[in-house]
Amino acid sequence: MRADLRLAWLLTRGSDRREWWRITLTALGAALATGIGLAVATIISIRGQYSVSFGSGLLDQPSDRQGVIIALLMLLVPVLGFLGQCARVGAVHRDRRLAALRLAGAAPRQVRRIAALEAGLACLVGSAVATVFSVLLLLRVWQDPEPLAWLGIALVAVAVPVLGATVSALSLRRVVASPLGWVRRVRPTRGPGRAFLAVTVLLAVMAVGIGLIAFLGDPLFFHNSLDMALAPLLVFAISLLIGVSAVWLAGWSSRRLGAVLATRAQRPALLIAAERLRDDPWAAARTHAAVLLVTVVGTAFAGIRTVLLQVVNNTEYLAENRSYYTTGLDLSGAAILIALALTLSALAVGTAEALATRRRGLAAQAAAGVPQSVLGRALLLETALPLAPALLLAGAGGTAIYVGWATMIDDAVGAIPLVPVLVPVAVYATCLLASATSLPLLHRSVRPAELRYV
Amino acid sequence: MSNTGRSTVPLLAARDLVKAHGRTEALRGASVELRAGEILAVTGASGSGKSTLLHCLAGIVRPDTGSVTYGGERLDQLPEQRLSELRRTEFGVVFQFGQLIPELTALDNVALPLLLAGARRQEAQAKAGEWLERFGVRGQEELRPGEMSGGQAQRAALARALVTGPKIVFADEPTGALDSLASEQVMTALTHTARESGTAVLLITHDAQVAAYADREVRLADGAVTPLEVAA
Amino acid sequence: MIGMSTRHILLGLLATGPSHGYDLKRRHDERFPQARPLAYGQVYTTLQRLARDGLAEVDGTDSDGGPERTTYRSTDDGARELAKWAGEIAPPAPFVTNDIFAKVVVSILSGGDPEAYLRAQRAAHMERMRELTAVKTAQGTDLATVLSADYALNHLDADLRWMTTTAARLTTLTAEVDAA
Repeated sequence: MRADLRLAWLLTRGSDRREWWRITLTALGAALATGIGLAVATIISIRGQYSVSFGSGLLDQPSDRQGVIIALLMLLVPVLGFLGQCARVGAVHRDRRLAALRLAGAAPRQVRRIAALEAGLACLVGSAVATVFSVLLLLRVWQDPEPLAWLGIALVAVAVPVLGATVSALSLRRVVASPLGWVRRVRPTRGPGRAFLAVTVLLAVMAVGIGLIAFLGDPLFFHNSLDMALAPLLVFAISLLIGVSAVWLAGWSSRRLGAVLATRAQRPALLIAAERLRDDPWAAARTHAAVLLVTVVGTAFAGIRTVLLQVVNNTEYLAENRSYYTTGLDLSGAAILIALALTLSALAVGTAEALATRRRGLAAQAAAGVPQSVLGRALLLETALPLAPALLLAGAGGTAIYVGWATMIDDAVGAIPLVPVLVPVAVYATCLLASATSLPLLHRSVRPAELRYV
Repeated sequence: MSNTGRSTVPLLAARDLVKAHGRTEALRGASVELRAGEILAVTGASGSGKSTLLHCLAGIVRPDTGSVTYGGERLDQLPEQRLSELRRTEFGVVFQFGQLIPELTALDNVALPLLLAGARRQEAQAKAGEWLERFGVRGQEELRPGEMSGGQAQRAALARALVTGPKIVFADEPTGALDSLASEQVMTALTHTARESGTAVLLITHDAQVAAYADREVRLADGAVTPLEVAA
Repeated sequence: MIGMSTRHILLGLLATGPSHGYDLKRRHDERFPQARPLAYGQVYTTLQRLARDGLAEVDGTDSDGGPERTTYRSTDDGARELAKWAGEIAPPAPFVTNDIFAKVVVSILSGGDPEAYLRAQRAAHMERMRELTAVKTAQGTDLATVLSADYALNHLDADLRWMTTTAARLTTLTAEVDAA
């Protein structure tokens, strides 16, 4: 183990800048996940009615706290997507290095352990930093936290690095299997494997199961503590389910779209982008799935928020003061914006990574006189093409949710607002902007200096 | 050999090229002339500046000092957009590998320069098909570069370089990754087509057997051209 | 070496049937395009020696309207000798007579310019390689010509590579030769 640790450290220290990016971003993602986990653990430990000097009374009632937990758990989804994307930064280089280790005589187990150590240590750093700051914050707002809260905090702080290391070891099983297999060329990203399918099915079963228990127990209200725990789980499971289904949808539609456009394209940039989608449809599937999820939730939320504010403003006598409602809405809005920001950075990281792995070929294209504008357009189209129909669908889904909700409540809603329909458009535009952040990198990538390594 | 240059103005002329990569000087005052329709081999040990010379001549990089003249234009002073256009229309480039887009089929790869020039896909593909056939790449039009053998892929790359009817083809170790038989087929295809169409070829190689396909040889050592014959 | 193999090559050509000297020379030059062409006199003396050693015998004479020609055919001994020779491996260059190396060393000893000599030799080699490549890539060239040109090209290439490494190490060689 000591030798493995030393080797992992030596390899990391000697690796290039992109691998440091992966480690830094992984640590950042782990810190975010830990932060969210700690918040959930702390809120869960609060029992009964309390007066919390934090969040405009949102944490006072058990049912409100449950809503906050749901929102936090849903925030975990884009964080996980972000982490998945970060694992791809410099992955080709890392895979080659691990294969080279195997060639040099390392046992599969040893290589897996080295890789797991690398990821685990990055997660440990992120988790440690997040835990220290969270505890400091907690002690300021809560004089004497319950033992249950401490237990939860310890559990989350340990679980994040352990999970990170496990996932990393699992995802590398193919790389490690053969010393030669992955050394030779950059391959298209594999589609989701059987494990992923199993997770999808499991989630679906879980969602249905939890839903059934909840509804059979009490069709309308969640009174007892079992239901209290099940409701956030149900929402979390459903949103994860939508997320993984979105991965399937994104990959599948990328391939179909690529195939259809590749045969019809007349413009070179469109042809290149379409063929890339057809060749490697799963490359951006995870990020695109996160974009879809954020769009559904974002559109629905924007609609619900507008409607709710109308109701709050139209109603003269409110059960709570006005800020109770607006703070809740603003907090949820902020959470969704954070999720969007995370997703967009994952998208930017993904585009930059796609560019970096292809930079030699791109330099050769530029040398052969393919204008940089064509290469840049192809890069943007690669993001823009599959997202357009997907976001249209997501926007429609979100709109259906809030319009359905608005017609169900019997308060004075007034006219159903249509402004939230603009959310998918805004998301689409920011996605294009996020992938456009790689264009300066394209400019640097096509330098003839890259040709020297051909 | 020195008398033939008088009547014909060189197609491409480089004078006293100096180019440094960081602190290492790749070129230290190299001068080369390429006449219309001739096949010129540039040979030399690895690190002698061959590739850098090709990059300067093809307008891929600008020399630090010195001049590159093509058709009355100073390549070292042209804006990048015009250089890119020249490389697309008047020049063709072939590298050791990597010049084909891995996601495109052989046919679309060859058709790409025509598409860039604004041709319709069907026309471009038809013409690309003819060129692939000319280079003996038959029945592989729908394969991607990774699915072809090295020799076939290089011949597809030659077809892509020649499909626009360029004045000059720049080939940087085009057979560097091939065995001797595939190398012979690629070189025969290149020289036959170039001679047939009057295209000039600047061929970078460290292999004397490949250089022997050329009409003339220029030898680089330490970033400068060395005299080949002893002064009389 | 050349004398030895001319005997066997002629025996090999006779193996397809009786033939006269001029015909043998023509067929030899066709089969081995890049080899040194046989002189008619050499064919004639070799045939006489084969007959003396009992490996070939006179088949007859015909005039065919022109000058009289002696036709030879292979004997059973000749066929045996040919089979034995064809199956034997050729000794891998037992003595290398390297004119180029000799010239370099002599040039160092006599205070000449070995570098200039190597450059000129290189240019001459390249010129010959270009000629051979032109022969080999001309339209409609038969495979025998291509293969024999390849053989020559590979040998010239080996010389060239040797010259390149030698040129790069001339200083050390000069010091060594001068010290001895």
